Amino acid sequence: MSSTHGTTKTAGAVVGPSAPERSGPTGDSPQVRAVRRRVQELLPAKTVITDHARLRTYECDGLAHYRVTPALAVLADSVDDVATTVRICAEERVPFVARGSGTGLSGGALPRADGVLIVMSRMRAIREVSAEDQRAVVEPGVINLDVTKAAAAHGYYYAPDPSSQQICSIGGNVAENSGGAHCLKYGFTSNHVTGAEFVAPDGSVVELGGRALDAPGYDLLGTVIGSEGTLGIATAVTVRLTRTPEHVVTVLAGFPSTDDAGAATSAIIGAGIVPAAIEMMDALAIEAAEAAVHCNYPEGAGAVLVVELDGPEVEVRQEFDQVERLCRDNGAFAFRVANDDVERALIWRGRKSAFAAVGRISPDYIVQDGVIPRTSLPKVLRAIAELSASSAVRVANVFHAGDGNLHPLVLFDDSEEGQGEAAEEISGKILDLCIEAGGSITGEHGVGMDKSAYMPRMFSDADLDTMQMVRCAFDPNNISNPGKIFPTPRLCGEVPGRHKGEHPLAKSGIAEIF
Amino acid sequence: MTTDALAAAASGQSIDLPTPAFDEYRPPSAALVGDCVHCGFCLPSCPTYVLWGEEMDSPRGRIDLMKQGLEGDPLTDSMVGHFDACLGCMACVTACPSGVQYDRLIETTRAQVERRHQRTRRDKALRGAIFALFPYPRRLRALRGPLRGWQRIGGDRLLRRTGLLERIAPSLAAMERLAPRLGKAERLPERTAAIGTRRATVGMLTGCVQREFFPAVNAATVRVLAAEGCDVVVPAKQGCCGALSVHNGREPEALRFARALIDSFENAGVEWVVVNAAGCGSTMKEYAELLRDDPAYAVRAVAFATKVRDVSEILVELGPVATRHPLPITAAYHDACHLAHAQGVRAQPRALLNGIPGLQLREIADPAICCGSAGIYNVLFPEPARELGDRKAANVLATGAELLVTANPGCLMQVAASVERAGETIALAHTVEVLDASIQGRPVASLTGGGTSS
Amino acid sequence: MSVETVAGPALASACDDVREAVDGDSVDGVPPGHVARPASTDETAGLLRTAAELDLAVVARGAGTKLTWGTPPERVDLVLDLSRMDAVLDHAAGDLVAVAQAGCPIDRLQETLAAAGQRLAIDGTLPGTTLGGGIATNSSGPRRMLNGTFRDLMIGTTVVRADGVIAKSGGRVVKNVAGYDLGKLMTGSFGTLGVVTEAVFRLHPLPTASQVLAVDVRDATTAAALVAAVVHSDVVPTAVEVDWPAGVVAVLLEGTEQGVDSRTAATRTLLTGAGASTVDIAEQLPPWWGHHPEGVLLKLTCSLSAVGGLLQEAARQGVAVRGSAGAGVLYGGLPADAEVAAAVTVLRAFCLAAGGSLVVLAAPADVRSTVDVWGPVPALELMRAVKGQFDPHRRLSPGRFVGGI
Repeated sequence: MSSTHGTTKTAGAVVGPSAPERSGPTGDSPQVRAVRRRVQELLPAKTVITDHARLRTYECDGLAHYRVTPALAVLADSVDDVATTVRICAEERVPFVARGSGTGLSGGALPRADGVLIVMSRMRAIREVSAEDQRAVVEPGVINLDVTKAAAAHGYYYAPDPSSQQICSIGGNVAENSGGAHCLKYGFTSNHVTGAEFVAPDGSVVELGGRALDAPGYDLLGTVIGSEGTLGIATAVTVRLTRTPEHVVTVLAGFPSTDDAGAATSAIIGAGIVPAAIEMMDALAIEAAEAAVHCNYPEGAGAVLVVELDGPEVEVRQEFDQVERLCRDNGAFAFRVANDDVERALIWRGRKSAFAAVGRISPDYIVQDGVIPRTSLPKVLRAIAELSASSAVRVANVFHAGDGNLHPLVLFDDSEEGQGEAAEEISGKILDLCIEAGGSITGEHGVGMDKSAYMPRMFSDADLDTMQMVRCAFDPNNISNPGKIFPTPRLCGEVPGRHKGEHPLAKSGIAEIF
Repeated sequence: MTTDALAAAASGQSIDLPTPAFDEYRPPSAALVGDCVHCGFCLPSCPTYVLWGEEMDSPRGRIDLMKQGLEGDPLTDSMVGHFDACLGCMACVTACPSGVQYDRLIETTRAQVERRHQRTRRDKALRGAIFALFPYPRRLRALRGPLRGWQRIGGDRLLRRTGLLERIAPSLAAMERLAPRLGKAERLPERTAAIGTRRATVGMLTGCVQREFFPAVNAATVRVLAAEGCDVVVPAKQGCCGALSVHNGREPEALRFARALIDSFENAGVEWVVVNAAGCGSTMKEYAELLRDDPAYAVRAVAFATKVRDVSEILVELGPVATRHPLPITAAYHDACHLAHAQGVRAQPRALLNGIPGLQLREIADPAICCGSAGIYNVLFPEPARELGDRKAANVLATGAELLVTANPGCLMQVAASVERAGETIALAHTVEVLDASIQGRPVASLTGGGTSS
Repeated sequence: MSVETVAGPALASACDDVREAVDGDSVDGVPPGHVARPASTDETAGLLRTAAELDLAVVARGAGTKLTWGTPPERVDLVLDLSRMDAVLDHAAGDLVAVAQAGCPIDRLQETLAAAGQRLAIDGTLPGTTLGGGIATNSSGPRRMLNGTFRDLMIGTTVVRADGVIAKSGGRVVKNVAGYDLGKLMTGSFGTLGVVTEAVFRLHPLPTASQVLAVDVRDATTAAALVAAVVHSDVVPTAVEVDWPAGVVAVLLEGTEQGVDSRTAATRTLLTGAGASTVDIAEQLPPWWGHHPEGVLLKLTCSLSAVGGLLQEAARQGVAVRGSAGAGVLYGGLPADAEVAAAVTVLRAFCLAAGGSLVVLAAPADVRSTVDVWGPVPALELMRAVKGQFDPHRRLSPGRFVGGI
């Protein structure tokens, strides 16, 4: 096996412009040199990384397929560090890319060879936890799970829980509008962030939203959340804390097939139950998880469902009875209940480690992320199975069944001629299936570098152009994480002021102004 | 080749190609490096990442650096600095869902660094002094007792010049104050007979630091093993296991120690080799890997390694026979990295402690994070070690436990010094000392020092 | 030939339902020239293209219930009446998703959804309110405490830009992070960025049972204690409302019959423990529930812990307050002949200090001229830049929004 093996690849390369595998030119333009000199003058020495070996440890995020060495990196310790760096970048017209914990799976934090990487992982103070206001104010580098840990003593937690919650940062969550297994019931980052201190791409620091809800003016906060770092950098985030539920029941149900598990999912939702989470894994994903964490899922299962119910005890117990009945009605042959946090953790461990665990059963794999309307699950899963069978490319399925967010894991061995290409082709076709079913090309991993080429399959030119009008408002010079999300940048041009000049009708001769 | 070099080559200039970081002899395995999928799950488990929040001081970042080295980048000072800063706690190995063998990667990398990297004179001298001292029980003995130690060693120019004494003195001094039981090192009998029916014959490693600073731990280990039906053999002529050398890339030295230790135990007629120091045990379990290229020892090392057990493992495997007397005390158990992460031994010490009537076990927050002792790390890098120690001490104290139990001498010293720095006190004991007190029916005060601590 | 003369025929060529405006068509006192009732997104686009060509200022209208909110437009040439676009286009019950046109009254959508045991968890606070009107003002009622507002529940949007270009964002699936969320930008933008013609919503199952627990309470401190007791508990209230100085704290519980019964008991205990002397329990919502107070209408927001203080300060200023004490979003009312400007100044200072804001939603023109309607708005320059991109010639509801946008 060569040293490039085991990297996680995704589909973008099939249709997208091929990304550099290694760092490109150092981008040592006069502008970059000026930025380097100026930040070194203004920021402490340890904050500015110029050493090549060090810089290379920042050349990719959680999607190791794309690698670019940044021209320099700034390890920010304060909003001032960020604002200073961004202001200098704006003045020199040098691109910058913000990076949190570097766990993103779409290359959203892929550096620019001609730009500055602004690393937020050192800004990780939890500034305040206020249970009485149901808020916490945290710096962007704070780890998602640490917010919950800080709030737990007060009977609160932070609801969005991406699978990487033990390491992903709140800043990264804001960039990606992260969800997690429990977003079926509780929503996404955008539903749980009420305010942010924000460095705009000109280096100015502004407040978006606030501690209270419904701040007057445009919902710029809601627009910034999920914009993948293309509109600026959050330097402090006010999050909403959610009351820890009175009762939680986690069950693991083993089914003969994904069809059965899918039918059970539909039956549960159809019964008017909104579980905190419904997760599904197919046989291959179960095999991987067993190999990695020995989660002891039911033997011989073609699919397992992890269903978590939370809320007031009486309702949870009622719902639990219904869920058990509906699972058994739909063919569940094993039904296991976690009685305490340890057993719950064991059930979840298989699910949450599934991505990385696939590395145990395959040298290489692509993590795909697509969404379909939940009712299309059986149809799309069958179509994926057909794709897999006809191409001999193995596909493991792990997904948030409750909201139709699929994570097919396409397995291959890059040392075998042609396998990588075949896997990428299947991966791309799966996205096409999602779009055909009326879904989305990404439910939580983001577009980033990886899927920008797929955006035109989901959105029209006008849609993308309109989105980029927002981009132009925030970042007319296109320096904030350029090259991500949008396949082609929009030229922002001059921002027009009040209407002036000749009236269009007068100009065209239709009308005269009296 | 760096981009600069490439550019120079392309323009036809004559250039000196940098020497690649690694040579052909046991470089870090490219296949193992390739196992890392860059998911980042290791980051929060890594003490240096916890402290500094920088990629190059994380397991993932260090693997990136190794990858650079394998691709031909030179072994720069900055690269070496980040390899050196790794505590070798192996928490990342536990955390990794992809099963990346970082332990093997960093060991092979460190061996390359020691062989190929030119250290500064000061660094070289400090490391030399450490390795002239720690693996040698007799030399360590000279340090025992603060006054005697200071006076006798104070004259040693090497120690003075490197500042080694100042670096280790605080830990030693704290240890002396906080562990009043620190008595005269007694010589253990070469053979102790099992009490009651003999269930096993075990050999015991006495260790270096353990033997000189915690002789009571060795004595307790012998008593507990005997009480549980073991004939205990303590080969007199045993030296260092080589753990410190392995962990710091001093491979030839490590190989020498390992061969000698195998020699010492091979003819002792023991079924198991029992270790009560986490760092030693983890290295001894890896002798097979360490000596795999030595035709004279490869097979013997495999046989030896399979016999190695941590004392808590063997006690749980055998199951209790000796009566446990009540010890009404609250105890916090601290996972030594080389026991929990390197050997996967977490449940056994807890099971043993929970088997003591009256003992209430409390868990320490962030248990996976190293206390900063990490072999000789706290001597080489006193500042980060101190920060980690302070974090650990705060978490330990937050449990409100009266007694801190752990299975590694380094951890005990490190946490003791940190607790003292926080202006607090807590009684300290090794797991077997607590078991010993319970089996012997000694009072709680025998562990807490009779009221000298909280 | 005047623009007006040209406008009629030009607009008529884009839409078959165009008429000259009458008195009732005035937007907050500003008379428009024409009213057009497009039947589709395409017709809306055609009208906006025409308006762009003729530089007509356009205000979109649903039921017209909130046209006096905010500030009046500087000019109106065309009212885009979306009442013909009132269809529920799709209800995918199995996916808990519905698609509807902007002119659809919220109540009508709810009727359709209820047939399948589902709902859009948003209250229509004013009778007849349309989805489009609700989106434009991000209006919300008591249930927002548990379920959020339009910004939280709208998952896909079709919008017609000022230049007549149709753009979509989001989609038909709840979980979706592809591209910018233009829906959030449109929500609460008072029609100044584009005309939303269709939207996709995530739905919730209709609860099978509900109970309201109401407590009469005299002092604000006790009221705040009652609110806190319920908010920081496990009873998962759908809404915690306050009516002040009338002196009522009311808690809405929704769910299954057994669940609501058990939580009603638990909530009663909490309320009694926090100082309630009697707790009235009813299945019917109280008559004031979800209705804005009379008079000059204020929207007041603050951090949760400041709600008690806000009630006190409002009472002192002669401002009646109703709204979500559980979310910290309340509506105030005071007579137009009161010292409105003084009350606004004092209460705004309080709200700002408590992390919130005060907006004068609706007031007679003479009163409005004495107050700062929006108060301080951070990031106003960025907002202007957004407006500059979407509507550079300021044709969409010019002047109706913050900072004169």
